[in-house]
Amino acid sequence: MIETDTLDHHSAQDSNTKVFVFVFLMLCVLTGLSFWVANSYLMENKVVGWAAMMMVSVAKALLVILFFMHLWWERAWKYVLTIPALIMGVLLVLLLVPDVGFRTMTYSKDRRENAPKPVVGESAVSETVVGTSETLKLD
Amino acid sequence: MNSKVNPSEAMSTANGVGDEGSHGHIKLKYQPAVPVPKGKLAVWLFLSTEIMFFTALIGTYIVLRFGAPEGSWPTPKDVRVLEWLGAVNTFVLICSSVTIVFGMEAAKHNLPGKAKTWLVATFVLGCVFLGIKAYEYNSKFEHGIHPGTPRSLLYDRADLSYLSALKANLDAEILSIEKTKTALVSEAEAEHGHSGGLDNLVLIRSGLVQWTQKTVGESESPIMRELALESLAHQINPRGPNPRVDAYLAGETVDVRDRIAKLQGQQEAVDEEVREIQATVNALSEELEGELDEEKKSDIESRLATATEKSKTAATKATEVVDLLAPLESRVAAYEQFNGIHDGLNEHFHLRLPMVIPSGNTWANTYFLMTGFHALHVLGGLVAFVVLLMFRLDRSRAGLMENVGLYWHFVDIVWIFLFPLLYLF
Repeated sequence: MIETDTLDHHSAQDSNTKVFVFVFLMLCVLTGLSFWVANSYLMENKVVGWAAMMMVSVAKALLVILFFMHLWWERAWKYVLTIPALIMGVLLVLLLVPDVGFRTMTYSKDRRENAPKPVVGESAVSETVVGTSETLKLD
Repeated sequence: MNSKVNPSEAMSTANGVGDEGSHGHIKLKYQPAVPVPKGKLAVWLFLSTEIMFFTALIGTYIVLRFGAPEGSWPTPKDVRVLEWLGAVNTFVLICSSVTIVFGMEAAKHNLPGKAKTWLVATFVLGCVFLGIKAYEYNSKFEHGIHPGTPRSLLYDRADLSYLSALKANLDAEILSIEKTKTALVSEAEAEHGHSGGLDNLVLIRSGLVQWTQKTVGESESPIMRELALESLAHQINPRGPNPRVDAYLAGETVDVRDRIAKLQGQQEAVDEEVREIQATVNALSEELEGELDEEKKSDIESRLATATEKSKTAATKATEVVDLLAPLESRVAAYEQFNGIHDGLNEHFHLRLPMVIPSGNTWANTYFLMTGFHALHVLGGLVAFVVLLMFRLDRSRAGLMENVGLYWHFVDIVWIFLFPLLYLF
């Protein structure tokens, strides 16, 4: 049964418990970390903030996979199942990038006129405001 | 052939294509391709398909999100997402991952009671997660955020299709309230129930929607048309402070007040004219009654006819002025009534009018698809826990518990990615 390959040959029960508690604490700290990133100066450049949060997520997922799902202690078969699945998943996402990720680059004029309209940035406001009260003559 | 076994035949048996001719002379030992129990292998195979499934969903969301130009994706506030609630749910799932690990350890050490307790804890945590999820879904439905038509109230931009949707929605709402009002037995009850809301809706219709429709129809400048529509959308559901719209509205109100003052001057002049003509008409008709001379009578009659004609023209003028004044006055009334409301009319009066949230529908579709599938997986896990709780969770069931645990950890991992993507980006 299960005993052959997973934990028993690895260590005694106490050290296992210690590992799990440590992983749990790390997961809590990392969740707090990504919450902190979301409200910190890192979000001034969104891509940096997003990348940081994604890295935190990957770290959390790795902790869960390696220790809670015991892959750390498994033999080489783990690669047979996880790596092809990951490759397929990543490939699928990459295939979407030209069509979906760059969708706004190839919009026609009509499409652009009906596309979600971005909010005007603060910098563009002052000029328009001056123009507004001046040109507002309805009759 | 009978007594001696052909080596090639033995080979083919080993390869699984041998026939019964060898009569089992060679005992072949089964070597599993993967050195783990079959159940565990099956769960891992299933999970590797699940990795691809959720990577597709999450990856599509990431590509959509990153491809949206700056500012054209809903902020968490736009779509009523509470970051801290997502963090709480993350914590709940992490805790449940730990409890099921401890449950499995307990089963492995042949402590069925302890294992059961940990499993019950995991089950409860899963239920808490789903409860919070249900609360979140409900708060979205309450604000008109649905995965697509016919219920979705979200529009990508303030354009004419948005304006007409707003108008249709208002008309339907006002009609239904009026119907209820007439159906109600007691007038007082109607007053208590809907009257204030109805007044607001009517003012929104005349002072905001119909006014904007008029402005858009009459304005020659596309910038003014855009500003009129943008300010309407902003008043219904603002996406943060918008100085552009504030300036537009303030400027427009000054202009409208000027026009009202001008029209009121005109109205007085017209009223004066009407009064004068009426006086002439009255004098003439009196004269006509007193007059006996036929010739003079016909002369007075013709003068009277001219005066009546004039009075008719003046009356038409007066109604024209009133017609011109009415929309201007309701515009000013709407401005005064709704000016101080910063959270938007929808939120302030608990209305369900169409809203402009760029990419709001794309967001809602992906949000409900991903969290919906995730919630279904959580539900599946809960069912597995219930089934597992029916057994005695001793050493012999440790493998079963590990398999269910593997699945549960995977559900946790999916949420680990969903949380920052949906709540913090």
